Amino acid sequence: MKNVLQWNPPEGLTGFAVSYTVQYFIYGQKKWLEASECRKINRTYCDLSAETSDYEQQYYGKVKAIWKTNCSKWTETRRFYPYLETQIGPPAVALSTDEKSLSIVLTAPEKWKRSSEEGFVSMQEIYPTLKYTVSVYNAKSNRTWLQYETNHSLVLSWLQPDTLYCVHVESLVPGPPRQGQPSEKQCVSTLKDRTLELKIK
Amino acid sequence: RCPSSMDMNPVKQSFQEIKDAVQVNDTFKNVTILSNLHSVKVLSPLDTCCMTRKLLEFYVKRVFKYREELSLHISRGVSSISNSFLTLQRTVQPCKEKSLCPCSEAATNATRTINNNYDQLEVGSAAIKSLGELGVFIAWIDKNYHQETSTA
Repeated sequence: MKNVLQWNPPEGLTGFAVSYTVQYFIYGQKKWLEASECRKINRTYCDLSAETSDYEQQYYGKVKAIWKTNCSKWTETRRFYPYLETQIGPPAVALSTDEKSLSIVLTAPEKWKRSSEEGFVSMQEIYPTLKYTVSVYNAKSNRTWLQYETNHSLVLSWLQPDTLYCVHVESLVPGPPRQGQPSEKQCVSTLKDRTLELKIK
Repeated sequence: RCPSSMDMNPVKQSFQEIKDAVQVNDTFKNVTILSNLHSVKVLSPLDTCCMTRKLLEFYVKRVFKYREELSLHISRGVSSISNSFLTLQRTVQPCKEKSLCPCSEAATNATRTINNNYDQLEVGSAAIKSLGELGVFIAWIDKNYHQETSTA
């Protein structure tokens, strides 16, 4: 999982040549460890994904600022538990329609990979209780409804023909609230009702 | 499987509200109590029942009773979690009565290790640390009670 430590520069030193050093601690281990990529860096974030790749462990991070010969105290994070706290990305969403129905196919998000050589792991494997919040907006009636879904495909029937519907989906794991990350909004129109057209002729 | 499911959502919500305040009070980062729980995840359904029953008992009998020594905010959260655990114990109890909750050596050793880890620390520190590690128990339940139901 992608885990990035971020911080704000010390007050009063914005614009000064301040550098930072980061360390991390695996809960239950013996000592703080160097974040090798984040020694005397100028940026205010450090990607600790490699160091914290075991999402079943718990971690702390800490950072200190260095300016000329001055060194700040360490600032430490609270305990971080990726398994319960990671933000889960949206599923892939595929839409298709006919006159009165909208078919939605969802593919669970993939676990973040440090390199392309890493194998594919679906978040469904890590979170068997992964669900989805499907939001559907009817452009004609200007109304939105939400639907909780555990399946990976659903069909919405009895829709209005020739109407634009917009959909976005968010992944959901029951339990402590996590920041949501909805999928890109996708819009598709139901087809015209041909039976009407035949009658009109 | 007995019990067929475990609703941990009330526990998760209450724990979320006190987690940071509890964990800040746990100053021994280099010691854990439930750490071995991750390595015990490959268990038979029967073992899972035994582990669940023993861990619920561990928290109710050894951990939650120290809430008076904590801040009001934490103490309230612990009371809520304790009530949820009593409900969960009532969920598991019928399984024991129907002999569907036997303990294998592996499950017995795993819970003995947890109790031994607890005994290594002064009791107040051990209680705080166990509270701070409730997330590990929640994650273990999530995996062991949903792994099969979602693939069955």
